[in-house]
Amino acid sequence: MKAPPFGYRRVSSAAEAADALRELGSDARILAGGQSLLPMLSVRIASPSHLVDIGRADDLRHITADNGSLRIGAAATQWSVENDQATTAAAPLLADAISRAGQVPIRHRGTVVGSIAHADPSAEIPAAVLASGATLIAASTGSEREISADDFFQGPYMTALEEGELLREVRIDRWPDGTGHAFEEFSHSHESWPVVTAAVLVLLNGGTIDRVAIAMSGVDGRPVRAGQAEHELTGQAPTPELLAEAAQSATRDLEPFSDVFGSGRYRKRVATALVRRALTTATTRAGGGA
Amino acid sequence: MTIPDVREHTTEKNWIGKSIPRLEDRRFLLGKGGYIDDLVLPNMLEVALVRSIYPHARIVSIDTSEAEALPGVAAVVTGAQAAEMTDPLPDFGPDPENHPWRCLAVDKVRYNGEGVVAIAAESRAIAEDAAELVVIEYEPLEPIVDPMAAKEDGSPLVHETLGTNIAFHREFTFGEVDADFEGADRIISDTLHWGRSGGQPIETVGAVADYDDASGMMSIHANSLSFTSYLFMLAGTLRVPSNKLDMHPVSAGGSFGSKLWEVKTPTIAGMLSRLCGRPVKFLQDRMENISNGDHHGSDRRYEVDLAVMNDGTLRSIKITTVEDYGAYIQFGVGHHGNALAQVTGPYKMSSVYYDVTAVLTNKCQQGAYRGFGSEVGNWVLERMVDLAAAELEMDPAEIRRRNFLEPDQFPYFIPTGNVYDSGDYGGVLDKALELADYAGWRQRQTEARAEGRNVGIGICTCQERSVFSATEFWFWFDEPGAPVSSMPESVTLDVDALGNITATLYSCAMWGNSPETMVAQLVGEEFDVDPQTVNVVYASSNQGLPATGPGGSRFTVMVAGAVEVASAKIKKKGAAIAAHLLEANVEDLTWVNGGFEVAGTPTARMELADIAIQAHLFKHGLPEEIESGLEASHVYDHPYTTMPNDDRTDLGVFYPFMGHACHIAVVEVDPDTGKVDFLDYAAVHDCGTMVNPRSLCGHIVGGTAQGIGTSLLEEFVYDDDGVLQTPSFAEYVIPTSMDVPELKIGHQETPSPYTPHGIKGGGEAGRMMAPAAISAAIDDALRDHGVRVRRLPATPERIVDWIDGGG
Ligand SMILES: Cc1cc2nc3c(=O)[nH]c(=O)nc-3n(C[C@H](O)[C@H](O)[C@H](O)COP(=O)(O)OP(=O)(O)OC[C@H]3O[C@@H](n4cnc5c(N)ncnc54)[C@H](O)[C@@H]3O)c2cc1C
Repeated sequence: MKAPPFGYRRVSSAAEAADALRELGSDARILAGGQSLLPMLSVRIASPSHLVDIGRADDLRHITADNGSLRIGAAATQWSVENDQATTAAAPLLADAISRAGQVPIRHRGTVVGSIAHADPSAEIPAAVLASGATLIAASTGSEREISADDFFQGPYMTALEEGELLREVRIDRWPDGTGHAFEEFSHSHESWPVVTAAVLVLLNGGTIDRVAIAMSGVDGRPVRAGQAEHELTGQAPTPELLAEAAQSATRDLEPFSDVFGSGRYRKRVATALVRRALTTATTRAGGGA
Repeated sequence: MTIPDVREHTTEKNWIGKSIPRLEDRRFLLGKGGYIDDLVLPNMLEVALVRSIYPHARIVSIDTSEAEALPGVAAVVTGAQAAEMTDPLPDFGPDPENHPWRCLAVDKVRYNGEGVVAIAAESRAIAEDAAELVVIEYEPLEPIVDPMAAKEDGSPLVHETLGTNIAFHREFTFGEVDADFEGADRIISDTLHWGRSGGQPIETVGAVADYDDASGMMSIHANSLSFTSYLFMLAGTLRVPSNKLDMHPVSAGGSFGSKLWEVKTPTIAGMLSRLCGRPVKFLQDRMENISNGDHHGSDRRYEVDLAVMNDGTLRSIKITTVEDYGAYIQFGVGHHGNALAQVTGPYKMSSVYYDVTAVLTNKCQQGAYRGFGSEVGNWVLERMVDLAAAELEMDPAEIRRRNFLEPDQFPYFIPTGNVYDSGDYGGVLDKALELADYAGWRQRQTEARAEGRNVGIGICTCQERSVFSATEFWFWFDEPGAPVSSMPESVTLDVDALGNITATLYSCAMWGNSPETMVAQLVGEEFDVDPQTVNVVYASSNQGLPATGPGGSRFTVMVAGAVEVASAKIKKKGAAIAAHLLEANVEDLTWVNGGFEVAGTPTARMELADIAIQAHLFKHGLPEEIESGLEASHVYDHPYTTMPNDDRTDLGVFYPFMGHACHIAVVEVDPDTGKVDFLDYAAVHDCGTMVNPRSLCGHIVGGTAQGIGTSLLEEFVYDDDGVLQTPSFAEYVIPTSMDVPELKIGHQETPSPYTPHGIKGGGEAGRMMAPAAISAAIDDALRDHGVRVRRLPATPERIVDWIDGGG
């Protein structure tokens, strides 16, 4: 398990990174924390011509909360984000999701943005990002564009990023005070890969659900939102029966993939249970009685 | 041999029984353990393999030209070329000539991951680059995956020359099975399936070979080979004279059996070293270890009938098992021999029927894994006893207690002919019930169930046979190739001029266990010296005495025998020297607190150091017949084995030192996901006299963790097309410290009457028991759902399928 030969370039800014991607062409790849990329090199399922290492780009390491929105740069590690007060205050769902993603030593290197760019269909962070309605900032030489999380994830390890684009930042708008959050995960061992996750945000208003977001991973080629279930819940008083029904409809139309961690049927069953639990916890945290 | 004399064991011990810190720890904790990957010889090459992407395919052609042309590549060797340079790998299985096992596949590949081409290059990275340049054309053949289909006529064949996929089949009958079944009130029957898992060492198997064409010496540093008496077989494979092969044992970061006889890695390294004229390192990566490491664990399907009486008395058991051995069968069905050592468990049962079919399929072959197949037998027996308890509505502890052998029944010959040396099973059960607070948990269980929680308690009472005899490698043959009967362990003790002691070990003993600590405590006991002052070294095989090493929980017992006799030899010489210098009669000397003194005259005394310096430096002060120096070696043979009879209705004594344990698991099952969580876990073990309770606890904890993995998580999964779905730790999930509960550990000591100090083996510990306790706990938790665990691992998905009514 040794990487094939590759070129290496360390950049010190986002602009340099974008320039390097343009100059080195389509076979160059961004190296962030390396926690997915290096294993892929070791088993030789990836063989990029060059790695563009953004680990020391100072303008990519930011974690800031201003005007109600949290901004996380591409070089900010998962560990630094989950332990950042601004994050835990503005996006506790993301912080919870990160804390379930791999082991502490891995999170000291792995980045939040790297996990999003990697777009593993079972991963925790993309599910939380999707539930949060985040915006992704893609940068290329001389230009930038915003991509909504709904549009960003396109399939297994496939995103809306185009050649020459660097995912520079993720922006998460803070939900109002009093929002309840919950992140649920099923994995085989405490630290093994997530099989299914559910990420939920709930805001109540006078005993009824004012706003709700439900996202799951491990049930499709990409993380998915449960729009229909969200619709059914909105405006309703959260009873246990209602939440259980919503969980059913969240997964009704899914046809999850099967692999060694679980069949499609099993994934669907687990997803339903996790969504129900996450809805229950989030509603309780939001001050509801379900 | 008849029953050996019963030994007197003194209870006054200075060092045995103390939890001294392990001698091994310091160097490992300082990063100075000296693993294979730390070993770098000048000018050394490194190896990578091209491994088969197909489970079963004919090799049509191999083009190595591009790989050879890559700068930094020293040699590219195909299986056919390797067969010109080496002979088949040594194999203890049936008919090896009809399923020859080679270091690289020739003509066809027989499992996904089998090595096809070996490359030696300046670095492993370059070797892997070259591996990508090798072009192999395959003609895929129908994969043989399901052993039940594979054993039928008309199945495609793993080895055409064998003419069948059934490598071995035999029925054994011990005692009056038919009569015992006829007289039974009930026959309890079930179908069980134990899935394939394996030991997962931190450092995989590795070897550094250094062939010297001037001397003709093939030196190999390896972390995988013990059994020094059998190394001539590896010399044969490598085509070097047996006295020109020198194996240097290297510490291993765990083996758990999985390095027992791993000959392929040293063979490839040795072959390439000779070819290239340079030292060569071959260290498996994780995927090689999992897919091509030749040490998968048991994979068995069972049909079992248990004859019982309505009062819970167990009479007899009929076991029919089909084992999926994979593509080769290096140890034959020794794994079943192991199970037969304790097939009736701790219970009085008078007969056994055992029918074993060994099937070859397109999978990595089996080797050894902690328990060597007897852990599967334990699980099967305990599953059946639980089923009997359920059908008879008896408490699982009570049905066991009713059938236990009583302490005064030992030595006890079980129907297969093996002997149990000693035991007190009721004592262990009592301790475990108390330690686990069984009554309290039954109460808490009732409360939890009232809240709708699925809480269950499982109990098992299992044997842990220890110290195998060589006979178990062949007694299942009618006409064994070589009915060998030696499996010794050796030691040399050398007292230097200042009285400091060095112990030399001769097997590859450091496999993550504590051989140095054991030897040092034993030597400390003999000579009244602090074990921490004993220097323990390992000899290479060429300078060696015969040795077997760890395996079958034998090392501590066997090395204790070697130390005992070697110490006695030294003391005899020391006494002669002391008697001469003290002008006393040898008969009047006694060994007291580190020296010899004249009985009744404590001032007339010589310390070991005083004697040693005389022995080393003052020849003219000694009696003429005494030679200089103060060292002794001893080759210790197994203290109690007998040969099987001709028709194998009696297998003889082959695993006599019988440990025992009771595990009690308390679990809660999440019915939505099928996930099992531990609420409590207690384990009480009896492996005779304990040398070091703390290191024994390490075995119990580690073994139980592995048992948890086997029960719930770990499985080498081959899909229906024979492709390995779990080639790395991403897919092959092992429990972490967060998944293993804090164990409550208790001990009981029932000394063996036949071993030094009464020691029995304890090295396989928890993995022999945990699967039975956990399976029972899951059943109990899900009893309202009618779930019975018939298959391991009981993965979450399987559990929800069982809840949903799949069985
Ligand atoms: C032992 C272990 C356990 C793990 N467990 C989990 C787990 O439980 N859950 C989980 O989700 N993950 C897990 N991971 C994966 C890990 O968390 C990765 O960190 C994460 O998936 C990617 O982040 P990274 O910074 O390491 O990215 P890298 O590995 O450096 O990159 C990953 C991919 O994203 C691309 N990329 C990275 N950053 C950018 C960017 N800014 N713009 C464009 N492309 C980019 C890279 O080119 C590469 O293709 C585990 C990894 C290991 C080694």
